[in-house]
Amino acid sequence: MGSIRVENVVKRFGKVEALKGVRLQVQDQEFLVLLGPSGCGKTTLLRIVAGLETPTQGEVYIGERRVTHLPPRLRGIAMVFQNYAIFPHLTVYENVAFGLRMKRRPEAAIRQKVREVAALLRIEELLERYPAQLSGGQRQRVAVARALAVEPEVLLMDEPLSNLDALLRLEMRAELKRLLKETRTTTLYVTHDQVEAMSLADRIAVMRQGEIVQLGTPTEIYHHPADTFVGGFIGNPPMNFLPVVAEGGQVVLDGLRLPSPAERGPLLLGIRAEDLEVFPEPVEGGFAARVLVVEPLGPHLQLTLEREGTTFRALADPGFAAAPGATLYLRPKEGRVRFFHPETGKAL
Amino acid sequence: MNTRYLPYLLILPSVLFLLLFFGWPVLSAFLLAFREGEGWGLGQFRRMAQDLYFQDALRNTLLLTAVIVPLQVALALGMALLLPRLGGGRDLFLYFWTIPLGISDLAAGIVWLAIFTERGYLNSLLHALGLLDTPTGWLTYEHPTALFLSVVAAEVWRATPLVLLILVAGLQLIPKELIEAAEVFGATPWVRFWRITLPLLKPSLQVALILRTVLAFEVFAVVVALGGRNLPVLAGEAYFWYADYQNPGVAAAYAVLILGISLAATFLYLKALRVREEVYG
Amino acid sequence: MRVWPWLLALAFTLWVLLPIYLIALSAFSPREAVYAWPKAFLPGSLSLETLRFFFGVEGVWRATATSLVVAGLTVAFSLLLGAPAGYALARFPFPGRDAFRVLLILTRAFPIVVLALPLAVLFLRVGLYDTPLGVALVHTALTLPFAVLVSASLFLSIPKELEEAAWTLGCTRTQAFVKVVLPLALPGLAATAIFAFITSWNEVFAASVLTLQNKTLTAYLLTLLDESPLPFKFAGGFFLVVPALVFLFLVRRYLFTLWGISHR
Ligand SMILES: Nc1ncnc2c1ncn2[C@@H]1O[C@H](COP(=O)(O)OP(=O)(O)OP(=O)(O)O)[C@@H](O)[C@H]1O
Ligand SMILES: [Mg+2]
Repeated sequence: MGSIRVENVVKRFGKVEALKGVRLQVQDQEFLVLLGPSGCGKTTLLRIVAGLETPTQGEVYIGERRVTHLPPRLRGIAMVFQNYAIFPHLTVYENVAFGLRMKRRPEAAIRQKVREVAALLRIEELLERYPAQLSGGQRQRVAVARALAVEPEVLLMDEPLSNLDALLRLEMRAELKRLLKETRTTTLYVTHDQVEAMSLADRIAVMRQGEIVQLGTPTEIYHHPADTFVGGFIGNPPMNFLPVVAEGGQVVLDGLRLPSPAERGPLLLGIRAEDLEVFPEPVEGGFAARVLVVEPLGPHLQLTLEREGTTFRALADPGFAAAPGATLYLRPKEGRVRFFHPETGKAL
Repeated sequence: MNTRYLPYLLILPSVLFLLLFFGWPVLSAFLLAFREGEGWGLGQFRRMAQDLYFQDALRNTLLLTAVIVPLQVALALGMALLLPRLGGGRDLFLYFWTIPLGISDLAAGIVWLAIFTERGYLNSLLHALGLLDTPTGWLTYEHPTALFLSVVAAEVWRATPLVLLILVAGLQLIPKELIEAAEVFGATPWVRFWRITLPLLKPSLQVALILRTVLAFEVFAVVVALGGRNLPVLAGEAYFWYADYQNPGVAAAYAVLILGISLAATFLYLKALRVREEVYG
Repeated sequence: MRVWPWLLALAFTLWVLLPIYLIALSAFSPREAVYAWPKAFLPGSLSLETLRFFFGVEGVWRATATSLVVAGLTVAFSLLLGAPAGYALARFPFPGRDAFRVLLILTRAFPIVVLALPLAVLFLRVGLYDTPLGVALVHTALTLPFAVLVSASLFLSIPKELEEAAWTLGCTRTQAFVKVVLPLALPGLAATAIFAFITSWNEVFAASVLTLQNKTLTAYLLTLLDESPLPFKFAGGFFLVVPALVFLFLVRRYLFTLWGISHR
């Protein structure tokens, strides 16, 4: 009953086409993350689901109801805003109780519900304070509590963690995950932080310039990016792309031979940095590259290498001896190579 | 949510009100002023121009404006530039200096009457300094210059704070880095003022000048409080023709004249102090 | 720290405060002191005689009451008409918004003299002449552009997300405005109200032209100026100044919103 369905939604702001026909289905109790670079239309899509923006074309359904032209208050949603939007003239208690009061719940029921979500978010101590007396993380908790208090069918969050410092963000991320597992609220969550997306999401929808380019579980998206954009956007360092040429249904890179999806012609070979094994000496099934930069990152050594004008990255053990200028040999792990169309960038 | 018509609904009452209370009066002031018997003509203006007080009123109004407005702007600019040098005292001084903002022109006139009147504080001071023996009435027809200067003093006292606020608000918009950059490049304070502060302050100066000039053209209660009709001014004449002579036609002619010179002055300021778009978007 | 800025600042302060001190001194002096020659600059004998005489004059209380009614109406009209328009300016990018802004700013080029005279003729015809309502309407014409611009800047300073949050939590537009925007804008709106009040309280010309029997205090004092004795004038002047002082104290936080910014 808490599902969201977005059908062919187009949104234009004057000449700017912020959304170009988006289809999306969020299952009941699912945690779906909208991920994409700045300006790709994530917020716009979320606001259309919330009813804060009307789509130029297309329909929005929540549960089985068509809500496209309903105001936000009739949609059964709750939203957590990027800057929290906590009412500064109300105490924390009144903020959390706000939605319940609008529903004219009896005072006793309100008090009980507020206590309950306050406990869930560990803000019992703060209920009598005003927002000005809260830290950023505390405000964030209040905003989430306020949204959960109304027991929405659907919870919408727009970069709720982006205003927190790095440490607090990690902590709140874990907490949110625990919380939403407990409450099992259908959630649509916007972020441009791919780590956040990977760690929280049941499924991720990657957006780019007003379109959803891939929808899948974090693992799918990480290991089987639909195109070079997704591969490059997700993962740190991003996926490597090496231009290769297929001949006779094979790609040959020094000692490396792989069956290719195309009979002949240019291709892009995609491989993640951690899927490349690094050897100091030539190795069976490996190819050669020159070291440009060596960065010790702690758990591993990040190498930036060059081969035939293309730079790419690989990860080695921290103890690995490498110096700029040296030639190393790399071998992809079994089954980790992907091929992409050199012009469209689509996975093959 | 259909919000297309909502903003129009919200501004509609104000628009109608302003049209009714600005558009209509301006229109009918013209009708009133150009009415002559059953037809139209310049009769009201002729009567106005032939009146004994007219020339004095026109001259006094223009002269007062010409003296008061530059004085206020210069003074306000001085105060505005002084404020940042006062450190923590800034707010307190700004508070004191803006007190006259809330004082009406009539009250200001009376306040300064207490000073300039025959047995007032000015004469008492002059007496104490040994410059004056007996009380002398300055606010009379025989001392036009003294009367004029009294009005100038009262008006400058009352209305400089308005200019001050506009200029202080304008100064706050000037990025500090600009001035600091000029300082780094070795500009003297004098050069910084002329080359950076003043040009960037132009939009605020423009607003202040327009506002003050229009208000100066309708100077009325201060003058009446200080000197009755001894120093005729245009708005005062409009009032006397309307209230004492019961002649709305000539009064309207005065009103149209005031409107005319107000618009002309506004236009002049807009032309002379053209603010380039790129300075303030 | 150099001394001369402080000396200059003190000189300016003296220039502003001295006349107020002197009018207060005159108002609290006994009658003889007002006519004394030469005058003393320090309070000799304070007395309420002059002020009592002022309030004893027939019509002063009535005119004060009329002034209060007119100012009250002006406040109500300015806010009721101005706040919605300010909200529209702050929240909607509708076509015609700039034209509306220009209209508001344009009103400054029109002297009150031009408004008051034809309106007096009109009011005579429709029965608004010599009524507090008529004067309040003209005063509203003076304060409305300010009320719109100031409330627009107030609403602009309240994040739109607060309102949107209220909508998502079950509010209609009106409820969100009343429950969230209004409480936050209230202090600023109060300052705007005080501003409208003092503008009306101070206005002389229109009030004089539009009334005959029911004069406001300023208009009444103006008609009495010719024939009234000095102590009466001084007491009246002082009585007019006092609200100004209170007013400025109350709105000092909003000084710039009320004048500096709204004049841009
Ligand atoms: N109210 C608006 N008027 C005009 N253009 C808009 C408006 N809102 C968004 N846009 C445009 O629509 C596009 C998508 O914006 P949106 O805010 O949805 O991006 P986003 O993915 O949330 O980006 P970010 O990660 O930076 O928040 C952008 O090009 C933006 O400039
Ligand atoms: Mg966004």
